[in-house]
Order: sequence, then structure tokens, then C-alpha cells
Amino acid sequence: MSRLFMARAFYAAIASVVLLLSPATGQAATPRDALIIAWNLDALITFDPAQIGEVNGADIIINNVCTTLVRYDPNDVTKIIPGTAESWSSSPDGLTLTFKLRSDLKFPDGTPATAEDAAWSLQRAVLLGFFSSSNLTEWGFNKDQITDQIQAADDHTVVLKLSKPYPAPLLLSAAFANNNVAAILSKAVGLKNAKTTDGKSDLGNAFFKTGPVCVGPYHVTRWDANDVVVLERNDNYFGPKPAMRRIIIRHVPESSAQRLLLEKGDIDVARLLNTDDLKALESNKDIHIEQTLQQGMQYLALNTNDPILGNPKVREAIRYLIDYDGLKDTILPYKGVPRADLVPEGAFGALNRKEGQPFSLDLAKAKQLLTEAGYPDGFSKKMILSANDISPAIAQHIATNAAKVGIKLELEQMADANLFTRGRNRDFEIQLVGWYAGYPDGNAMVSRHATNPDPRMEAKLVGLPVWRTGWQSTDINAKAEAARLEQDPEKRAAMYRDIQLYMIHNGPMAYIYQVIRPIAYRTSVKGFEIGPFRVNYESATK
Amino acid sequence: MRLSLLKGFARQAGSVATTLLGLLALTFFMGRMLPVDPVLAIVGDQADQATHDMVYHQLGLDQPLYVQFYLYIHAMLTGDFGNALFTGHRVADDLTKVFPATVELATFAIIIGVGIGVPLGVLAAVYRGSVIDHIARVVGLLGYSSPAFWLGLMGLILFYATLGWVGGPGRLDVAYMDSIEPHTGFMTIDALLDGDTDVFWNAVSHIVLPGSILGYGSMAYISRMTRSFMLEQMAQEYMVAARVKGLSAWAVIRRHAFRNILVQLVTVIALAYAFLLEGAVLTETVFAWPGFGHYLVAGLLAGDMNAVLACVLIVGIIFIGLNLLTDLLYRLLDPRTR
Repeated sequence: MSRLFMARAFYAAIASVVLLLSPATGQAATPRDALIIAWNLDALITFDPAQIGEVNGADIIINNVCTTLVRYDPNDVTKIIPGTAESWSSSPDGLTLTFKLRSDLKFPDGTPATAEDAAWSLQRAVLLGFFSSSNLTEWGFNKDQITDQIQAADDHTVVLKLSKPYPAPLLLSAAFANNNVAAILSKAVGLKNAKTTDGKSDLGNAFFKTGPVCVGPYHVTRWDANDVVVLERNDNYFGPKPAMRRIIIRHVPESSAQRLLLEKGDIDVARLLNTDDLKALESNKDIHIEQTLQQGMQYLALNTNDPILGNPKVREAIRYLIDYDGLKDTILPYKGVPRADLVPEGAFGALNRKEGQPFSLDLAKAKQLLTEAGYPDGFSKKMILSANDISPAIAQHIATNAAKVGIKLELEQMADANLFTRGRNRDFEIQLVGWYAGYPDGNAMVSRHATNPDPRMEAKLVGLPVWRTGWQSTDINAKAEAARLEQDPEKRAAMYRDIQLYMIHNGPMAYIYQVIRPIAYRTSVKGFEIGPFRVNYESATK
Repeated sequence: MRLSLLKGFARQAGSVATTLLGLLALTFFMGRMLPVDPVLAIVGDQADQATHDMVYHQLGLDQPLYVQFYLYIHAMLTGDFGNALFTGHRVADDLTKVFPATVELATFAIIIGVGIGVPLGVLAAVYRGSVIDHIARVVGLLGYSSPAFWLGLMGLILFYATLGWVGGPGRLDVAYMDSIEPHTGFMTIDALLDGDTDVFWNAVSHIVLPGSILGYGSMAYISRMTRSFMLEQMAQEYMVAARVKGLSAWAVIRRHAFRNILVQLVTVIALAYAFLLEGAVLTETVFAWPGFGHYLVAGLLAGDMNAVLACVLIVGIIFIGLNLLTDLLYRLLDPRTR
């Protein structure tokens, strides 16, 4: 009896587990009218276009939820095509830029969107002063004058007064195409839901954070932190009606789990797969892997305040320690293309692939440069890097080559937030880190990685990676400013070329590779627009 | 008599409050020493100093540490845990989503852990040195030594991808995502409350694998502990006396030996459950389970002290709560403590 009791308890426990398993055999395929995407949503903190400062938030919002005034031509991002603005013009003196908006712009609830909304959206980006505001303030727009500088002339015309005659293609590319500040938000909704603290209005920031009311093909209907984001089709969108009623972005932080979901057909798109999983998917004919060259560079930032790294010959020696060819076949598949130039390929004015990558592993040359610099026996330095992704492998690779010429690199891995903090505090000798250019123009990188108005510590120009290294060239500063104002595209391109050819040997960074973004999706998904900057869902079908 | 009870209660409440306050203070001041700038979670690496300083000020980080701590405790007592910097949501809102997800998973796991672990431990003790004992040992050893991450992945490949017996990563299939109203935050219970059996079985199919894998770890621990407690009791002289009295072998085990290990067992189970409730980060990551562990670690890596402090408070409350509950159970189970 008692023996029976124990045995029964034991089997009952096992049976209950088996029983639970049995009814769960059915698999639900993804719904026909929804695109299901797996991604890592850890970094998302806001959907307010005026506040977004990280890649994933911008990717979701720009041109999926908020259509920008103008856009990049998907076939050539150096060309500008209409967005919510159907046309634009510059005054002869180059000091006024006018956008003519489409007359059929509506918010998701059907309310018409006007130039007043567009002007307010631009103004609030500057007034709120989040990181995105620098996309406008670097072109002379400022908090004190913004309501004069950007105005609605009538229901469909936005007029911008410029402080300098910047070339229109540069300005459009930098601030108004595929840029979150160029979204049209509902002024009425923003002001109605504005919160005031210490006498200062947040202009609807807290409200728009979880779902901006924008002109665009979709709108955000759900966002559970670290779980899911749901975009619902905006039936009042001016463009062709998107085929997908919903875009569902699920937080799946583990690559293998994404791969299984994709193979099984429980998701349509996987956006965070590691190299091993991508390789494994390569032979699956139901899955396509799209590799897009992005406008992002990974590099070694060398602190030039350090007496050794301050020597240009030492920095040049370090460039010869990077085995660009070897990396290409070993660590970089699906991750990047070797490149030693600061301006990424595909940007206006960028050096071509060959010119932009003149180095190769050359220990003898490195040794010779070190000897000329006065360090024939090498030296010891610390390198800080992210513990994520391929950074540890890249760092190890460089450290191994460095050891062969007597440079002892001590590697210190850390969380990204820690790595960024150290970089901004100039608290490093060598930092392995990445940077994404905001727009496809030489100026995007030159203005952050080469132009340093004040290298002093107390200047705290922490947003400029070049400042973080302490490096400065007044000659480059002047050349960069001249290029920014050059109206002739050919001359402007030549000026950037000149800057790049100097920086590639003398600058404070050793660029390693240009980032590739691999996206794997089921071949049943068609018309999915994947560009170097954004991924657009409005044209997707399945 | 009543006064002394009240006094006892007051003393208990005072010690709980002091413990929690101490825990918060320790976490707060240690957190501020982390070499991570929490502002970067909001403004990003590309922001300039002016933007950085604006947010730094908005967050009150320019105030002295003790003032910051005082303001935090003050707000917390009114139920305001502030905003999680790394998610942009209110911490309280985040927790109402992630905590039930973890409790659901942990409860499923502990049921398996206890349901299988205890009988297995008893059998292993009774049939010491037999095949059952060896099986229990091997099963236990595997449970201890296999990384949950690896087990999770293997489980997914076999039961989800190959056999299709269970649901994949996540708490529900996408098709069911909006089918139920969130009442409790427990998918299975919410589905039953809505009377939607399809969603219920779908939720079960998603929880069964991560739950079993976590449960396996608990089972290994619980069965080993049960075995050693039982062996200790079975070596006692009263066991022989009970047999001499004429009771059957199993009756002695059930009524005497097992009954006497209950107090120790309750402690072991409570600890195992508390451990599961802290969140199993790796399992949650593999199974894309939007739970507490993942939330806590992500908050920690971003230097987001609002999120971390609230999580620490919850873990503290869980441990203290389970301790109190265990004390209570002791009194019920062991007449000597009454």
C-alpha cells in the first residue's frame, strides 16, 4: 500500500509533465498580414523623434512611423528624393531653404498635417535640446532664435532661415532626410499632452516617448520594454497602402533562438544573428541573407595625450599591425569590410575601396616606424573594448601582431555603457569602439572625427571622438569648414578627399572596418527595403 | 499577553524595515561607485556635454549622494520607483510585466522540482546503493553540472525545432499575442480567466520547456538534499523501534522518517524557489522570456540604479517573506517549536 503510494506519486509527477507536453504539438505560422521580426530591443528608451539617439529606435521610427521631409534614394543614398515635402528650393543667396509639403498629409486619426506641425516639430527638437537637436544646431539653428529661424509661411510651406549659405544637398542629407528631427508630429496632440515641470514644458516628450503621433505608414500601438513593439498600419497614410497590416518586433536577445524561430517559420525576419548562425542558414533555400554596408566604422582610438601614442609614427606603426586581409576571411564575414579611411564607402566624397584601405600587415615596416619614433623595443599599453560581439576577437588579433614587434597590449573588456563612459572621460590609452555616421556625406565623419575646435580637457567636447583622443589640426579644421560651405559638388568632394588622405596617415584613429548589417529573412517576404541607413517595412509583402 | 504579541510584531516589522533599508543603502552607494555613467543610457555615446549635463541635472545626479538617497527613499515610500533609464518606462510598470513572467516560470519550475525531486530523493535513500539510487545520482549530477544555457538550447533544438512538441522562445505564439487581456500578468491564468483554452495551451507549450529546464536544476538539488536528510533519519534508533512496534517498512518511512525531515525540506524548497524568483538570466535569454532576471542584469549593465534598486528591493522582500513563511511552516510542522 505505502510502496504503491510512493510509486504512484512518482509516476504521477512524470505523467503530469508528459500530459502537459501532449496538446502542444500544433505550430502557428506567422499571420499573412503581419511581418514578424526578431531583434534585440534592449537599447530602446524612447520613440520621441526629438529624443531618439540610438540606432534601433531610429530604425523603427524613421520612415516606418514618421516619414521625413525628404528621403535618400534607396538606390543611391547620395541622392535626395521627396518625402513629406514634394519639393524644396534654395534662395539665390543660399540663406533660405523652403520646403513645399504635400497637400494630402494626414495623421493616423485622419486629422490633416500642415506646415505648422512640421515647423513646430523642428522647433521642438531644438528647444528640447536632446542629442538629436545637434542635427539642427550644428547648422546654426539655436534655441533663442528657432521660432524665427523655422516658420510655416502657409499651410504647406515651411521656410528656414540659415545663418550661413550651406550647400543645399549637404544640408538636406544631414538634417532633413532620414533624420528623426525631420518628422512631422501633431502639434495639437503634443501641446495637449505637454507636461510642465519647473515652469518648463516638455512639449509632449513624455507622451510621444511611447508612441509619437506622426505622418507615416505605421503607428506604434504597443511597446512592452524588453518584450515587443507593435506597429499598426496607418490607413490615412499618403503613400501606397502598405500590404502588411502589422509589424511585430519581438525581443529575442539570443542569436540561436532567432535562428530556430526563423527556420521554423515562426518569425519572418531575424536581425541579430551571429556569424555561426548566419553560416548555418546560408544553405537554407527558404532563407535569404541580405548584407548591407552601413555608414559605420569600427576603429582604434589612440589617446594622443599619451606621450607614446601622441607620436604619429607610432600610430602609423599600429596601422601596419592590423591584418586587414586576414580579418576579412576570419572574423569579418557578415560583420564588415576592411577599411582604414574615416569616411565610409558610399558616402559623398569617400575614397574608393582601394584608396581607402592602403595598409596591410607589415611587421618589418611597423618595427621600422617604431625605431624611427624612438621605441625600437616597443612599449606596453592598455586597450579597452566591448565584451560584446567580435570586439574581443579583433582586439586579440591586433594584440597578437603587436606582441611580435614588442608592443604589449593589455586588453580590458567591459560593458558598452562602461566603455562609452571611459571614452567620453578621455580615460583610456587605446579604445576599440565604433561610430555611425548620421548621413552619407564626408562631412558627417569629418565634422566628428577630424574637426576639433578645442582639444583642452576643460572644453569637454565629449560628443566628438576626435576630442576624446586629444588630437587637433587647425589646418584640418579650416579645410573642413571650407568644405562645408563649398557649393560646387566636385570641389567639395575634392576637399574631402584631401582631408581623408591626410587623416588616413596622421589622424588619431586606426580604422579597422566598415560595418555590415546582415538581415536574414524568409524568402516568402518580398519587397522589403533594406538600405544602408534604414529598413523600411511599408513596401513589404508576403 | 496581547501587548507582548504587539511588541513582538513591532520588533519583527522594525527588523524587516531596517534590513531592507540597509540593503537599499548598500546597493545605492555601491551603484554610484560603478564606473558607468547612467546618463549615457538616455543620451547615447554621441551626445555633447550640454545635452549630457541637462539630463544629468534632470535626473538629480548633481545633488549630494545622501540627498539623492533621501529623495529616492521618499519617492519610493509613496510608491514611485522613478523611471527606468534603460527602458524609458516607469520602473513600476516594467516590474508589473517582468515579475509575473518570472513568478509564473519559477512556480512551474518549483512544482517540477518538488514533484519529482522529493519522491526521487526518498526512493534513493530507501533503496540506497540500488539502481534507483544510482539513477538519482546521475540525474542529479547532470542537473547540477549542465549549464542552463546549453540545456535550453538543446531543448529548443530537439523539442521545438525538430519534434515540434513545444512552443518556441517567447511566452506566446505571435498569433495569440493580443488575444487575452492582461489581468494578473500570468499568461496561463489570464487565458483561463478569459476562458480561452487555445491561448492557455499555447502558453503552456511555451512555458513547459524553460520551466522544465529550470525545474530540473531545482529537482537535482532537492532530490540530493532529500536523500541525505532521509538517510540521516533512517539511521536513527526510533526507526528500529517503530519497526519493532509492527509498522510496515513504508509506513515507518512515511509516518516517521519523512515527517521528520519536513522542516529541513521546507527550508530547502523555499531557498530553491527564492533562487528561481531572482530570475534565471541565462534561461530567460535563451527563451526570450521577458522576465525579472534579464531586466535586472540589463539595468545593471546600463548603470540604471532606479531599475536595479527596485529589483534589489523585490529580491530582499522575497527572501524575507519566504523566511517568515518558513518560520510559520516550522511551527505547523514541528510541534516542539510551538
